[in-house]
Amino acid sequence: MLDPGGQPSGIFGRRLDVDSPIFAIHDPENQPRDTAEALGKRKMAPRLDNLKGKTVYLVDTGFAGSADFMEEVQNWFTRNRPSVKTELRHKKTSMFTDEPELWAEIKKSGDAVVFGVGG
Amino acid sequence: MEDAYGVPTAPIVTARFVDYVQRDSRSHGMSLRYSFPPYPVGWVSRETLHGYVEGNDPISGVPLMEEVIFALTQPLTEAEKTYKAEKRPERPRLLEPDTETNLHRLFLENGWTDGLPIVLPTEERVEEMLTGTDRGPQEIVGMMSVTTHEERLQYTVERVAAIAVMAGARQEHFPVILALGASGRPSMPSSTSSFASMMVVNGPVRDEIGMNYGLGALSPVNYANAVIGRAWTLMSINFGDVRPGATFTASTGTTINYNNMCCAENEELSVWEPFHVRKGFKRDESTVSLFRGWTVLGFNTGPVQRMLEVMKSLSGPFGGAFTFVIDPLVAKSLKKEGYDDPMKLSEWLVNEMNPRFKRPEMVNFIVVGGEMNPVWVTTDFSYFQTAVVDPWIPAAGIRHDEKPLRMPEAVACADGSCGISR
Repeated sequence: MLDPGGQPSGIFGRRLDVDSPIFAIHDPENQPRDTAEALGKRKMAPRLDNLKGKTVYLVDTGFAGSADFMEEVQNWFTRNRPSVKTELRHKKTSMFTDEPELWAEIKKSGDAVVFGVGG
Repeated sequence: MEDAYGVPTAPIVTARFVDYVQRDSRSHGMSLRYSFPPYPVGWVSRETLHGYVEGNDPISGVPLMEEVIFALTQPLTEAEKTYKAEKRPERPRLLEPDTETNLHRLFLENGWTDGLPIVLPTEERVEEMLTGTDRGPQEIVGMMSVTTHEERLQYTVERVAAIAVMAGARQEHFPVILALGASGRPSMPSSTSSFASMMVVNGPVRDEIGMNYGLGALSPVNYANAVIGRAWTLMSINFGDVRPGATFTASTGTTINYNNMCCAENEELSVWEPFHVRKGFKRDESTVSLFRGWTVLGFNTGPVQRMLEVMKSLSGPFGGAFTFVIDPLVAKSLKKEGYDDPMKLSEWLVNEMNPRFKRPEMVNFIVVGGEMNPVWVTTDFSYFQTAVVDPWIPAAGIRHDEKPLRMPEAVACADGSCGISR
């Protein structure tokens, strides 16, 4: 075996036997059977017939640029779908956190929601 | 919103993340109706964003806002109503036998390592590692994912032992590694912003396993610090399912991910209560505290008044969370200024110095170092949690090798002249 702090001397370490098989190596990604996190079945919500007279919440996720982007989305609705009422909201904390108060407000006062922008 | 609140939802995600959200749909069993503007949306002009909203989705070729309207009003298809989550295929406990060379290649090419050589987790080595705890090999330790949305994978004591072997650890390190695993926190959470993590050990276990909290504690000069920090990342890679570009999206990444600034606190030279005591634990409890952020900035600013001035002016990337890693000499200087409790300093910073310091509990101080220089390191790391090590330690105590492996320790100054405190 070479001394890692040694000086060049012309003496080299003996070659290790790299050809003999090794048995019983653990698979590092093996998971216990049937114990991964249970993900229950989730359902999408029924869709609206149309957006006329409806309230659509526009939620700015907080990623860079998304506040301006969602304002542009709101402007688009104003120009192209004036019958749709929009409510622009900005996430108060971060894009990764739950905000049940906002979700409850949307459930109570809104008919649909647009989230933007991810990434 | 779709499932829990029953509100039709139209998510807009930049086109760079099409694959990402498709995988998310498969793992959650819900195929949301995404629309994709071009990437990036950040740091572009308002005119550009206007063009994105008025323009087409580059993936589908359809006008973006038409897609949004469609997503909210078009009735659900049968496929959307019956979409199911995909479970991962089961994996065998043991790999196919092969030569050492081929196995090292297998581990590397499958992305099971951090790129550095590992110790192959043979059954014999893993069994030996398992003697480092009294816990049963099939006991569930925790669940982890490097993402915030994908299925978290469970792991047992035996799986953590395999990781500890890979990292080059010995049985004496195993309880701290198990405590890290039990936290369920990955050291390298997936974010385009490239998260870094830090772990700090307190309590008696520091000395029992030979951790370094003095000179060079954050440098590669200590065996325990090296392998424990590495084990956290190997757990994150394998249990947290790191797949670059798929589940792991750090744009630049960070070299801190290799070792996670693994160190212990210098409780002996600190003039303050140990960090874990400040967080409600007993002094004789052994713990590991976890932090996460992005930025590490070292200062060597001389007199403490100058240091406080620098703290006052901190800006740049720093947000509301700060964790200062300070040499014991700095803590002593601060105490002389009246800060006999670091919380006083945190409160002063928040209330009087700088609006970037948001809440006192978000400003933390860790005392690390060898009193060679009054240096301090500023991080924007948030403190997340403290995991207790003791439940993972065998009833008979830490299991040491007959002759524990130790790297050379810092040379002590016999006459005390090299340390102000001595």
